[in-house]
Formats: sequence, structure tokens, C-alpha cells
Amino acid sequence: MQDRILIVEDDAETAATVRAVVEEVGCTADHCDTLDAGIAAATSNPYRVIVLDRMLPGGDGVEAMARIRAGGSTALILVLSALGRAANRVEGLEKGADDYLPKPFEAEELRARLRALLRRGTMQVLDNDLLAFGNLEIRLKARTLHVRRAHVAVSPKEFELLTYFAQNAGQVVTRMQLLENVWNLHFDPGTNVVDVHVGRLRRKLEEAGSQAIQTARGEGYIFAPFGPAG
Amino acid sequence: MALAVTVLSLAAMGLQYSLVETRMMAAQTKLLSADLDGFAALYDQRRIIALRQAIDYRATAATGDEMLLLLDRNGSVLAGTQQAWPAGLSTEGDGFAVEPAREFRAGSSRWLAVARELPGGFPLLVARSLQPVDDTLAAMRRGMWGLLAAMLVAGGLVGWLAARSVMRRIGRVNDLADRVAEGALNARLPGVRSPDEFGLLETHVHAMLDRIQNLNLATHRLSDTIAHELRTPLNRMLQKLGRIEGQEALTADLKAEMRQAIRMFDSLLDISRAEADQGTGGGLTPVELSTVATEVWELYEPVAEEKGLVCTATIAPVLSVLGDRNLIAQMLANLLDNAIKYCSKGDELALTLTEDGDRHLMRVADTGPGLPEAIRGEAFERFVRAERDRGVKGHGLGLALVRAIAARHGARLTMPETKRGFVLEIHWPRLQQSG
Repeated sequence: MQDRILIVEDDAETAATVRAVVEEVGCTADHCDTLDAGIAAATSNPYRVIVLDRMLPGGDGVEAMARIRAGGSTALILVLSALGRAANRVEGLEKGADDYLPKPFEAEELRARLRALLRRGTMQVLDNDLLAFGNLEIRLKARTLHVRRAHVAVSPKEFELLTYFAQNAGQVVTRMQLLENVWNLHFDPGTNVVDVHVGRLRRKLEEAGSQAIQTARGEGYIFAPFGPAG
Repeated sequence: MALAVTVLSLAAMGLQYSLVETRMMAAQTKLLSADLDGFAALYDQRRIIALRQAIDYRATAATGDEMLLLLDRNGSVLAGTQQAWPAGLSTEGDGFAVEPAREFRAGSSRWLAVARELPGGFPLLVARSLQPVDDTLAAMRRGMWGLLAAMLVAGGLVGWLAARSVMRRIGRVNDLADRVAEGALNARLPGVRSPDEFGLLETHVHAMLDRIQNLNLATHRLSDTIAHELRTPLNRMLQKLGRIEGQEALTADLKAEMRQAIRMFDSLLDISRAEADQGTGGGLTPVELSTVATEVWELYEPVAEEKGLVCTATIAPVLSVLGDRNLIAQMLANLLDNAIKYCSKGDELALTLTEDGDRHLMRVADTGPGLPEAIRGEAFERFVRAERDRGVKGHGLGLALVRAIAARHGARLTMPETKRGFVLEIHWPRLQQSG
């Protein structure tokens, strides 16, 4: 059975884009255009993910999250809102959203985030110390990286970056995702500072003989240790 | 007030005291004068003999408040109430006039005395005791002191009661102001207003707070509305841009323009939000400044190195402030981004964080082109940009946001003069350690 995703969104055009992305990631979409209808649907159906707007007829989606959870929903919530300043994003995440994407958004960004959320539900807990991708080995406790059995020296931040890539292996991760998850920063720094960091890590891997980090044109990066096919 | 009443009463009592003193002295002088007149009449009739008899007679019925003494020319007592002439008292004149009279002390009391040497060398002393006068005046003085003390105590008590009631009511308003300053804009005084000036003051304060609260709410609602009304159509545009094929360069340009526009609006809204929240501690939590500085520095350092800048960071550990981590990071990111944008290969970029007395000093210094003298004074205003930077990407809100975020945290900005480049110092109030 396909996973179901609920879209609570009052702007028809946005809803159509979200629906297209949902279908692209292989799920079925339900759409509500008021907050009350959304809460009713969320608490009576087993959704994997809810894409929730904020300034909706009926109220603020962020304020409704507690009611959705209280209604028994175990869905992961992605807030998709025009309230996109850093302060709004931090507020939404602190109130329990699993992800927060500001409008305007690009379809690729939403796709990457929906995939990350869908994976989060199925991902086995990283209790094993060793993450091995062919000839690339990451030891989490020792915080070391080996390529072809040779140690590669990376900075602490580069190690965190690598770990985040590894957890999302085979999926596109966007610059905004990296900034939020690796640096815990929720504002747009204007310049693509993240590129420099990824570039450094990528060069270190390449010098050691691994092409694991690839650029996904116009979208971000992809960690594909087994070749471009993922 | 109480003091003025006391001083006035004291003056009135003083006047009465001196009046009583004068009157009593006059009465004593009159008595003395009457005695002298009597003796003068006797002296006129039979001279010393009559005087001696009269004084002898009076001495047997002496009451102690008069002193009479008649001596012969050798100084032996002829008659009198005393055994000897009082020491230190000399005779003056020879008549029976009351003037000149003289005061002298005998034992513990004062006397008003007339001492004469009658013709033939007979010294005569007629004196009246001033003890009754002194007793009366002493009693008056005791009464006055008592009254004075009572008035001071009563005045102090009344003043204290009045002040306590006034202070309590001013204290209520002050407590309210404190709570509002801490961020509770909805705080109000409970209970009914009294129908006096204090009630009026409370009503005015409440009206002002209502207005501030409404303005604050309107500011927040307006920024939400602006965000919504701006971003929703931009979102539709972006979705449509996504459907255009074959013109990647153009769509990428348009997307970058949109991103810049959104950044500018976000900065404006962030500035007005930070300014609206300025001075309220609401929403601020303890933040380790050292950690945030290290994180943001680590994010930008490689970017600066790629550009060929010489980077140094000296960050003292575990310095904390009461703040908003996200805003502090945004502020520092703005400063570092600016520095990297304007510096060229070979320039130096340094971030230092140190303890400086009761403040934490954060210093961002570069050896780039610095600020042109022309805009130095207004560099922190919105949309102020130097003429020479027209070609550089930006909207002139970076430093305005830096200033607004600093003000939100009660931090002070200084721009020390340097020979070359740009130096900005941020003096953060340190977190008060409680327990």
C-alpha cells in the first residue's frame, strides 16, 4: 500500500505543486483547504507526513499541531508557510514541527525534504558504530573516516557534514537542509557558504579515491558512494 | 511641613516666655521699690534708728524671699536677715531710689538687690529673691520642651503615615512598569481605581499600555501579513518558473533576484521586530556566546580562506549572554559576510571575543577598504550604502540589522578608528549568574 500524505493548504496553485511532488515521491495525496478539515482528516487517517500551511482559514497550522498530535496522529509534520523568517522557522520547530520550509519553495527542495522525512520513519537506528559504503568507512564513536583503508583527516564540522550525507545516502540533500541540520542555522546567509565546505570535503574524498559526493544540478548534492545511480 | 509648624509654635512660645520673664522681673522691681519707699519714709522721720527697728521687726518675720541688712560704719551688723554682707556686692549711691539695682547670686538663688551707703557710712542692703521668677520660667521651659518633643513625634508620625500610603501607591505603578519592562505587555493593575490623582495616574498608565500593546500586536500582525501577501504570489511565480524549459540561465537569474528580494524584506521585518522587542527581556534565553561565535566563524572561515584572506579567531570559552541564538548568529554572519565581500586577497580578517570588565567584547576587524568617511556617521541606518559599492551585491540593510539585534540584546556598538579597514566592537552585557 502506498504511503499517504495530507496536504493542508488554502492556495490552490501551491496545493497542486505539493500534490505533484507527493506523487513524484511515490505517495498518495489528500488535500484539505481549511484548518478544521485538516485536523479532522489528520486525526482519522494514518498519514505518514502532513504538509501544513500556517495562515489558513480557521487559524495557524503551528498552533494546531498539538491538537493533531493529541488526536492520535503519528504523522511527521512539515510546515510549509509564507511565515519564512528565521524567527518563524525556529518557533515552528520548537513547537514540534519535524521540518519547516518557507514559501516560496522550489519543488526540488520540497521533494528532498519529503524524502528525508519518509526515510526518517523507516531508518534503522544508528546504533552500530560503523557506517560502511563499499570502500568508504565512517566510525561514529571514534569520529574517523577511512577510504580504501587509509585514514582521511577531516575537521569536526566536515565529519558532521559527512555523517549527515551518509544518513541520507542516495538522496539529494539541498544547501538549505545542510545549513539547518549541520549548522543549525535557519536564515538565508545570502551567499552559498555551504558550497565551500562541501567542496573541501569532496576534494579530500576525491584525493583519497572516492567520488561519493556529487553535485545534483540546480538542487544540491547527493551522496552516492556506489556510483551515480545510487 | 511638620517642621514648619513646630518652628512657628516654638517662636510663639519663645515670645510668651520673654513676655512672662519681663513681667515677673517688673513685679519684683515694683515690690523692691515699695520696700525702699517704706524705708525711705522711716529714714526721713528718725534716720538710722527707725530703719534699724523696722529691719529688726521685719527680720523676725523673715520669709526667706527677702534680704535686709543694715551695717554701721565699722561694718558690724546693726540689724538684718543676714549675718554678713554678701561677698562681691558693693554699695552704689546713697538714696532710696530703686535704680540702680543689681542682680547677685547667694547660695543657689538669684537676688535683685539695692545696696546703698546711707549718709554717715551706714551700708544698707534691700534685696528680693528671684527664685519664684526662676521657678516659673523653669516650669515654662520644661513645658515648652515637652510640647516640642510631642509635636515632632506627632509630625513625624503623620508624615510617615502619609508617605507610606503615597509610596505604596507609587510602588504599585512602579511594579507594573517593571513587569512591562520585562516583556509582560499585558500586565495591568488589579482592583478599582481610587477617585484621586493616583487613580488618574493608573488610568493614564493603563491607557498608554493598551496603546503600546495594540501597536506591538499590529506590528507583529503587519509583518506576518506582509510576509504572507509577498511570499504567496512569489511562490506562484516560482512554481511557474519551474515549468519553463530551455532557459536555465534566465530562470536561475530570476530565482536569484527573488531570493534577494525576500532576503531584503526579511531583514526589514527582522529589524522592525527586533526594534519592537527592544528593552523587553521576553523571548531571550541564556546563550553561550563563545559557542555561537565559534560556529559562525567555522562556517565563514573557509569562505574567507578561499578568497585569500588571512584569518585569525581568538574566542574565549564559556562566555554567556541572555539572548536569541538565531539572531546573534545572523548578526555575526552579516558582519563576516560583509567583511569577506569587501576585502580582497591578502587582507586580514579577525574575530575576537574576550571578557572586558562587566561586558563581553566581540570584535570583528578587517583590513579591507573600510567605511568611506562620508557615511561613517550613518552606516547603521537602513538603505545607506557607499557610492563606490554600487557594483557590489547588497541592499544596505546588513549593518542596520546588526544594530537592531545589538539593541535587542542591550549590547553597545562602537566603531574605533583604524588606519586601515573596518573595526566593529560589540559590548555584550554578560549573563548575570544566579546561583
